[in-house]
Amino acid sequence: MNAPASAPKATALASPVPAGPQGSVQARPPTPRPDFIKVESARKVYATGRDTVEAVSDVSFSVTRGEFVAILGPSGCGKSTLLMMCAGLESITSGRIGIDSMPMTGPRESIGVMFQDSTLLPWKSVLENILFPVRIMRRPVRDYMDRARSLLAMTGLTGFEHKKPHQLSGGMRQRAAICRALVTDPDILLMDEPFSALDAMTRDEMNEALLGIWDRQPKTALFVTHSIREAVLLADRVLVMTRRPATVVEDLRIPFPRPRDPSIGESEEFNRLVRHLRGLIERGPRGAGAPPAMAATP
Amino acid sequence: MSGASLATGTTPGTAIAANAAMRERRQALWRAARRVLLPVLTAALALAAWEWGARASGVSAMVLVPPSAVWSVLANSWPILLEHTLVTLREVTAGFLLAAGGGIALGTLLTASTRIRQTIQPLVVFFQLIPKIALAPLFIVWLGVGPSSRLAFVLFIAFFPVAVSTAAGLMSAERNALLLCRSLTATGWQTFHSVRFPYAVPHIFAGLKICATVAMIGQVVGEFVTAQQGLGYIVMFASAAAETALVFAAVTLLCGLGLLLYGVVAVAEWLVLRWFGAPISSSQF
Ligand SMILES: Nc1ncnc2c1ncn2[C@@H]1O[C@H](COP(=O)(O)OP(=O)(O)O)[C@@H](O)[C@H]1O
Ligand SMILES: [Mg+2]
Repeated sequence: MNAPASAPKATALASPVPAGPQGSVQARPPTPRPDFIKVESARKVYATGRDTVEAVSDVSFSVTRGEFVAILGPSGCGKSTLLMMCAGLESITSGRIGIDSMPMTGPRESIGVMFQDSTLLPWKSVLENILFPVRIMRRPVRDYMDRARSLLAMTGLTGFEHKKPHQLSGGMRQRAAICRALVTDPDILLMDEPFSALDAMTRDEMNEALLGIWDRQPKTALFVTHSIREAVLLADRVLVMTRRPATVVEDLRIPFPRPRDPSIGESEEFNRLVRHLRGLIERGPRGAGAPPAMAATP
Repeated sequence: MSGASLATGTTPGTAIAANAAMRERRQALWRAARRVLLPVLTAALALAAWEWGARASGVSAMVLVPPSAVWSVLANSWPILLEHTLVTLREVTAGFLLAAGGGIALGTLLTASTRIRQTIQPLVVFFQLIPKIALAPLFIVWLGVGPSSRLAFVLFIAFFPVAVSTAAGLMSAERNALLLCRSLTATGWQTFHSVRFPYAVPHIFAGLKICATVAMIGQVVGEFVTAQQGLGYIVMFASAAAETALVFAAVTLLCGLGLLLYGVVAVAEWLVLRWFGAPISSSQF
């Protein structure tokens, strides 16, 4: 099932993948609408039998449109739970989550989700996996073929579209998962430790790829990670979560301009931010001392 | 000076590689042949030993029948044997298909909702514990000695394995794949046919293979108790008449039928997996 090269041009594509120069470096919107994602005193209590686990206790933050926010914290501190609540995949025990000033009631087509494993369907080809959301949302596949192919090109998967997932490396599978998350051009991308299952080198590669994608297609993103360097490299803001209480203890602005290059990881400023965050995570909110000078902590 | 020597002279590397490839292919071929030849040879040897032993021992052919006697029964009475074989084949195929369809349907129903699962699951487990063969004579009471009682018995005995493995398969879909479906606002039907069911396919085929074997057993038991027609009836009848060679002939044909039914399932599985084009056992992912 090859897509004919002469297929009609994609008709209504919300934001075509900019292969040309016009989209390569996009300026931030001049007046970003505030509070695209607004989380207010969100709490989650799991009841398992007689036990109850407070996975998230009283988390509040907001994200403006186009912002890339990393949620950083040790494992078990409730990051996944928080993300799943934002995705509408997990109920909220108390508090509120609003997306674009509409209360969260359940999953939405405008929110893409990525998991730690690629979650590709093993019997479908890479291209079919990437088009899976299009089919589920009952949209015309031919309108999205061009977009799928340029996403494949952007992630270096051209030539692998007819391979099966088991024929790809872990990094390639995760890149295919990024393509799948982006194919319907969602407003928000929620990523739950998408690269933690990869080896360090592949992970660096994926971070660079993600930076490249964000330079060309900035999106509102929540990115859960337990890697401090990954958070600082990728995000505009880092929210730090702790285990007890399972809440956000720090909201740190990362001042590096975009487009970013992974080489900023060697800069003194970068390492100061990393040290600050590590202090927060290791010693808890009180032991960390004052944040670095340029960090804006509301 | 010839072209050939020139060619080998200029590209010795290629020639060596080609030689190695050829050797490897020959070895692979030999390995494959060995996998067929060894069991066939062993079976042939066993048959020869059986033949020789039956003649040399002087034990009555009624007790220890030589393979040649079985063969001559097959060769001489094939019209009547064929008639009964076709009856058995027809009935067991119908029973297998009904059991397969009913099993897949019940298995699907089991996973349709928690309420239904809670209601039916314990009953299914209980049903599996019944020594179902013991109930075979009851089917005559209920449905008489005709084909319908045999069909009902095959269905009764063969469809639980399919139901159980279908239900297990439908529950085996990756948790994140189901979350992905939910996040994409997939409907229940979309999730079923695009994720749950494909993940269940290997499990369903495992169930169908058991179903094929069990259906054969059910069919023969049904023919034993109804004693009307079919190869099972021949076995009963010939045993009573001490016609051991005829018993073995009928059993040989039953083996062939069982192999055929199982083979059809195996080929269908191979075709479906090839169509899916990937190893889709959950261990792969
Ligand atoms: N479905 C669930 N039922 C009960 N407890 C859960 C469930 N999911 C997560 N938890 C608990 O909630 C806490 C936070 O889990 P999670 O959000 O997965 O943390 P993280 O993603 O930061 O590692 C953990 O203590 C975990 O055991
Ligand atoms: Mg997690």
